[in-house]
Amino acid sequence: MEASEPLIYARELSPVRDRMFAELDDIDTLCATYRSRIYRYALLSLRDPDLAENVTQDCFLRAYRARGEFRGDCSVATWLTRIATNLIRDSTRSRKFQFWKSANTSAVEISAMAERIAAPGTSPETNLVAREQLGKVWDAVETLPGKQRSVFLLRFVEEMELPEIAAAMGLHVGTVKSHLHRALAAVRKAMEKKK
Amino acid sequence: MNRDHLSAWEQDEYILEQGTPDILRHLTECSECRASVERLQEGIACFRSAAMDWSAECLAERPTQKQFQFVPRRVSHALRWVFAALIPLLLLVLTLTLIPSHRSTPPQPVAQLSDDELINQVDEQVAIEVPSSMESLTHLVSAEGNSGTGTPAAGSKRLVQNN
Repeated sequence: MEASEPLIYARELSPVRDRMFAELDDIDTLCATYRSRIYRYALLSLRDPDLAENVTQDCFLRAYRARGEFRGDCSVATWLTRIATNLIRDSTRSRKFQFWKSANTSAVEISAMAERIAAPGTSPETNLVAREQLGKVWDAVETLPGKQRSVFLLRFVEEMELPEIAAAMGLHVGTVKSHLHRALAAVRKAMEKKK
Repeated sequence: MNRDHLSAWEQDEYILEQGTPDILRHLTECSECRASVERLQEGIACFRSAAMDWSAECLAERPTQKQFQFVPRRVSHALRWVFAALIPLLLLVLTLTLIPSHRSTPPQPVAQLSDDELINQVDEQVAIEVPSSMESLTHLVSAEGNSGTGTPAAGSKRLVQNN
């Protein structure tokens, strides 16, 4: 009886896997489903809309071309996130990116984002506090090292579980947790700084 | 664990949904720790909300989702391996065409000589190829050899006298 259990488990899994493989075969549906998510992750990691778009396109192209290598041991979203993570890392390592990163300032982005905080119906004081908080977190996230930033974004923006993040980043869960603790410590420090 | 207040690590554990029952209990009782955790959570939530909005706006500004068109690989790409496979084939054909041309030339007749004949030839050559300056000596040696008398030492004495 014990031997039959994995077979039952495999049978139960096969429709899910079939669905995942079918999902990968249809590139248009794949993009429609995951584009906004991958783009957001790339945008927040790189903070460059054009570069984020390139990474997103490249991510789907690579996923489609390498769909034969997908084994179905994680979700399609996790697999795409893993590809995107590698592409983002490659982009940030390029000399061109380093140059533009040093040339640009994030002041415009912060102010543009802070304007979005102003929700109708809330008091100006609340908006001001929210803007301040946002600016601090934004700065802190920007200064985080690559892996810490990726892990932070995947946990707190994409709301992925720790094992999912570990699979997407190719890290152990313990390492992911460690990165998250460090990232949170940096964010906390930044929030308390200008009090 | 500091029982007065939660450490930053313990607060983070709660934020990461890894809080122990002790941490949860402390947060229900301690308003200061609860406020600290909530402040951090609010900051992160604010960041998330703004990030989602910003990303959605950026995406909306972009042209509608490009349909991925996978152009079939160019012929050169597809035929790359065919060309690669053709090279050894071509080399094989070339070698096959060249080898028979060598074989077609009639083999040179090799003189089948016996060992004795070869030795005789060598002796003749050696006998003939005596330098001209030493020819007189050969006559002397041969004459002495014919007479059958005298030792080599006596022969050499005569040679000195003749010279």
